[in-house]
Amino acid sequence: MIRREAMEIICNQYKKSIIISANGFISRDLFSTLEKNTNFYMIGSMGLASSIALGIAIKKPGKKIFVFDGDGNILMNLGSLVTIGSLQPKNLVHIIFDNKMHESTGGQPTYSETIDLSKIAKASNYKIFKINSKSSLTKILVNIKQNAGPILLLIQVSKSKEKSLRVDIDPVEIKRRFIKAIN
Amino acid sequence: MNEKSQRQVFTYLQKKYIENFVGVPDSTMKFFIEEGFKRKAILIANREEEAIGIATGMILSKSPALVFMQNAGFANSLSTITSLVELYQIPMLFLIGWRGFLKNDAPEHEKIGQIQPELLDSLGLENRILTDKNFKNNCDWALSKIKKNKPVALIIRRDFLD
Repeated sequence: MIRREAMEIICNQYKKSIIISANGFISRDLFSTLEKNTNFYMIGSMGLASSIALGIAIKKPGKKIFVFDGDGNILMNLGSLVTIGSLQPKNLVHIIFDNKMHESTGGQPTYSETIDLSKIAKASNYKIFKINSKSSLTKILVNIKQNAGPILLLIQVSKSKEKSLRVDIDPVEIKRRFIKAIN
Repeated sequence: MNEKSQRQVFTYLQKKYIENFVGVPDSTMKFFIEEGFKRKAILIANREEEAIGIATGMILSKSPALVFMQNAGFANSLSTITSLVELYQIPMLFLIGWRGFLKNDAPEHEKIGQIQPELLDSLGLENRILTDKNFKNNCDWALSKIKKNKPVALIIRRDFLD
């Protein structure tokens, strides 16, 4: 399964969800999969998508907050797993699309090839779901509706052959419409 | 800044506007942070960029936030300030401890203490220095800026040696 396919399955089940997407191909893929006002495309500040989502999750306890993260991204801010695991936001669903590489910069390897990210998240008191097929993803997405977070979906994806288009919305506009849509 | 003023800065900002105080501890503003803990209003992050990320999420939820850090952490955060806070115009209030303000501060603070004013200028991050005398005025100034969607910084000088 490639990342776009996984995103399509998730966005299909959670059509109106609030999503914070990591920079690089992840935001580009989300932009091409389901563009909407409740997407916050974080186009810079690599590593911080889960931190931004945590801030929202604390302030909006009644809403489910999704993070679309990557292995390279979370490895840049591993401390975030510890903070989220300590604060235990029940409404946070942390999705890591794990391709074991920095795909946006040319496919250089990350260390998620040797270290299992789900073990780190488990030690940080997340609920863990490891996923490597479309059918298990579909099943688990139903399952997490009843589960309290923080939840990690670690989805194994393979390298995409095609690049999604760049997010072409002005960042200030991304912010403006996102604030309007979630408050 | 003396203990009393630091505690007053906290209560003043909280009473006036700020709902969240997120950051990485700095001994220069020890009493400010202590006052926040007393009021159960402090969230500690592991790194300064993480604090900025969390505060951004809070501000996007319409809950005003301050991020506190030492200037070493401010240096860590340059890219996050340019590519998140400034790029998206997130109205964030920074409180930065100025190590290396005194010439004979510890050696690891010397260089960053020297270049801090220029760094703030290069970023275009408007800032003012808090003192025991002026803090109310400068807090008001900072709050009026973030209410107009402008990120700004308040600086506390390390004016003692230990």
